[in-house]
Amino acid sequence: MGATLRQRDNFRAVLLISPAYLWLLVAVFLPLSAMLFFSFLSEGPFGDGARQLVLQNYLEFFEKGFYSKLLWRSLKLGAVVTALCLLIGFPCAYVLAKTIKGRWREALFLLVILPFWSNSLVRIFSWAIVLRGNGVIDATLNKLLPFEVSVNLMFTYSAVVIGLVHSYLPYVILTSYLTLQAIDDSLIDAARSLGAPRRTILLRIILPLSLPGLVAGGVLVFVPVVGSFMEPRILGGRAGTFFGTVIEDQFVAVFNWPLGAALSFTLLAVVLLILAVASPVLKRAQ
Amino acid sequence: MKREFGLSIAAGLTAVLVAAGAQAAEIRVLNWNGYGTDLEWAVKAFEEKTGNSVVHDYFNSEQEMLTKLRTNPGAYDVVLINSAFTGQAEKEGLIQAIDTSGIANFADIAPNMATNPDLVPGGEVYGVAWTWGLTSFAINTDAVPTTPTSINVFWDEQYKGKIGWRDDALESVQFAALATGQDINDIKDLDAVKAKLAALMPQIKTFWSSENDWNQFMAAGDFVMAPYWSGSAARSIAKGLPVEFVVPDEGAIGWLDGLSIPTGSKNVDAARAFINYMIDPEFYVRWEAEGAPATANAKAAAALPDDSFNRTVLGNAEIVARVQFMQPVSEENRKAYLELWQELKANSQ
Amino acid sequence: MAMNRILMRLGRVYLGLILVFLYVPIMVMAAMSFNASEFYQLPIVFTTDWYARLWNNSAILDAAWNSIWIASVTTIIATALGTAAAIAFFRYDFRGKAILQVLLFPPIAIPWLITGTAMLIFFFAIGIGRGSRAVLLGHVALALPYVIVVVTARLRTFDPQLEEAARSLGASSWEVTRFVTLPWIAPGVTAGALFAFAVSFDQFVVSYFLSKPGDVTLPVLIYSAIRKGFTPEINAVSTIIIVFSMAMMVVVARYAKFGER
Repeated sequence: MGATLRQRDNFRAVLLISPAYLWLLVAVFLPLSAMLFFSFLSEGPFGDGARQLVLQNYLEFFEKGFYSKLLWRSLKLGAVVTALCLLIGFPCAYVLAKTIKGRWREALFLLVILPFWSNSLVRIFSWAIVLRGNGVIDATLNKLLPFEVSVNLMFTYSAVVIGLVHSYLPYVILTSYLTLQAIDDSLIDAARSLGAPRRTILLRIILPLSLPGLVAGGVLVFVPVVGSFMEPRILGGRAGTFFGTVIEDQFVAVFNWPLGAALSFTLLAVVLLILAVASPVLKRAQ
Repeated sequence: MKREFGLSIAAGLTAVLVAAGAQAAEIRVLNWNGYGTDLEWAVKAFEEKTGNSVVHDYFNSEQEMLTKLRTNPGAYDVVLINSAFTGQAEKEGLIQAIDTSGIANFADIAPNMATNPDLVPGGEVYGVAWTWGLTSFAINTDAVPTTPTSINVFWDEQYKGKIGWRDDALESVQFAALATGQDINDIKDLDAVKAKLAALMPQIKTFWSSENDWNQFMAAGDFVMAPYWSGSAARSIAKGLPVEFVVPDEGAIGWLDGLSIPTGSKNVDAARAFINYMIDPEFYVRWEAEGAPATANAKAAAALPDDSFNRTVLGNAEIVARVQFMQPVSEENRKAYLELWQELKANSQ
Repeated sequence: MAMNRILMRLGRVYLGLILVFLYVPIMVMAAMSFNASEFYQLPIVFTTDWYARLWNNSAILDAAWNSIWIASVTTIIATALGTAAAIAFFRYDFRGKAILQVLLFPPIAIPWLITGTAMLIFFFAIGIGRGSRAVLLGHVALALPYVIVVVTARLRTFDPQLEEAARSLGASSWEVTRFVTLPWIAPGVTAGALFAFAVSFDQFVVSYFLSKPGDVTLPVLIYSAIRKGFTPEINAVSTIIIVFSMAMMVVVARYAKFGER
């Protein structure tokens, strides 16, 4: 009986999962496997040069100090942007989920997502207009303040962080909202009526229960930000060299797909390693 | 009599069918965005003239152009290829030899360009010389009152933090080669180039990546001088920006762009008609007024008004003598230059 | 209680500030679509020229329509497949589950430029080629991990005993899903769908490689102009889309629910 039940479960699981994963297999996993194969080639996949299977492209990462330096820089950027998104986004989701009721909540929820539906390149270029000297911030402050100030954030590390936080903040707000909204209000009320201070309620009830959302949001921010290249390039200017831009160059400036692919998979490996190390810690916290 | 009549009907029908077939041709062009072939009025004029419609696809880098050709055999009829890449495309079998007999304007192309060895590998025409121009630099005339004569102005303490640059390894290395008095096609002292670029880093305010970037950054005062392409400078001037294009004593980087026909094109005749239209003086003179690179067609160059940009700047023999034309760059050198440039950028963070 | 009211008010002010931050670039984008300067120079000189030009620019309008169409289809497929997979992950324990979950990260972590290049050569090799079919294939695949992660986050708050209870009362597996699980995760599914739409609607790299010449999406049009740069016409069309989306959202907000139990 137990065996057949288990079989039936397995069958159902396969039925539910296979459409999504077959799709992913054809459209992402197989193409990326081809890329993984290229990363071990001595020459790009086209042309008639002699090709061998080598590890050289991966060794390059360790031989040239600046690759690891830039990866470290990208990881730090990912950490900063993720931390800011969580710190800014979680309270916002809390207000939305717990203090606003009815139609307003739906409307505001949608308002948070709407900026997402505009083109990211257009958004980045708009930030450029806002941040530069004589730009929107600069001009507004000078109108409001009695003294002369000069605000030129463009082409700085801060500009990259602002642009990325803006792009990824909605991820955190949404995922946190989804778990916060599921917390039964009566639980909080009960704790309060038992005299629990606000801090305790937050740390012992709200945070643990909304952790899945925070984790999902954090992952959805951290993972793509580490490999981002568009925002750093446009907003960072000279300060915008990161691991993602170096990978891009291998595909755009030279035809060095093997090295570009090797650097991408190194990035992936490091990101997965970080998630693997972090996951038991997060599970325990849960 | 009857038979002849029947024959002539058949011939007439065939002619109509062929014409209809030609009429239905849709030419697919692969080019940089906004680089001549996709001008709205030009496409319209060509369509009216020949009945062929024109569809565009774009690339953002030469490597991408080659990849698109490799993975889309038969998808394109005309492709723009920089002469430094024509040989590689030919070697990979991506483009076909062009029968120039159907291109009436071909005879008017300046001989040194029409038979440029990079465009005519093995004696056969693989690229029809179309435009050429310079990569040098331009200044904001409001901020830089006297026109600099040396490329070393980029290293001038006075302009620290006011320099724009293009984030391109090859261009950066070639610029530094000019500044250190070397041949851009045969750089002997790469260490000197590296040292020169290292000294440049603190001077740079930002990188620009598109023509609009350049115009916006210049207009907003983000930089006062930056490397630029001659055709783009002409457009910026035509749009009223206070810009002057400078060819310093050390020289500038010259490039030549050709139009090629990819292997597997199903509309070779229409493609040739399009290429013919693109090198036509009538098309060029109108394009030039909006800001364009220099034409390879001697007749078209002669038809320019006296005060036009390409006549005053690029028509000057003294200036042209200083230009070093870019030759194909080996893949090894490209990789070495990229590595050098990336390391400099990484270390200046 | 006075303290509570102050906190409540502070919370709302905070929410307002966040919305302002989120909308700064959108407002600038809209403002620049009414600015005469082609180089986005300040101060703004009012004009509606860009809208007039846009009206005659069939390339941009076609591309915008293409984007909306592709994003809608992507959303439907990705949401359905992703939700099913998330439910399976939640409900069943099976061999290889952990590996399948880890496999969701490569499409998110690897820069889209590399994924797009990989798709281009792979689709070329197996004969799918370029065109709307290829674009759709790519978009759904990129949206799926987001849908699965978001729906899973919501499912984590779900008590499996509810399913057990329904089952012990004789409900079939489908009935359990339909009447117990889905209503609970509905907000997650809606959020996943909105994500999927955003991923597809904004996706430029992959579509850039996979769309057929002359038959492109709006982001592709913008991205392929990046070397030359784009004109405020792009701002105009983006503004129209945002205003249109807002109108649609007003309608959606009237009927949709994101959590009323």
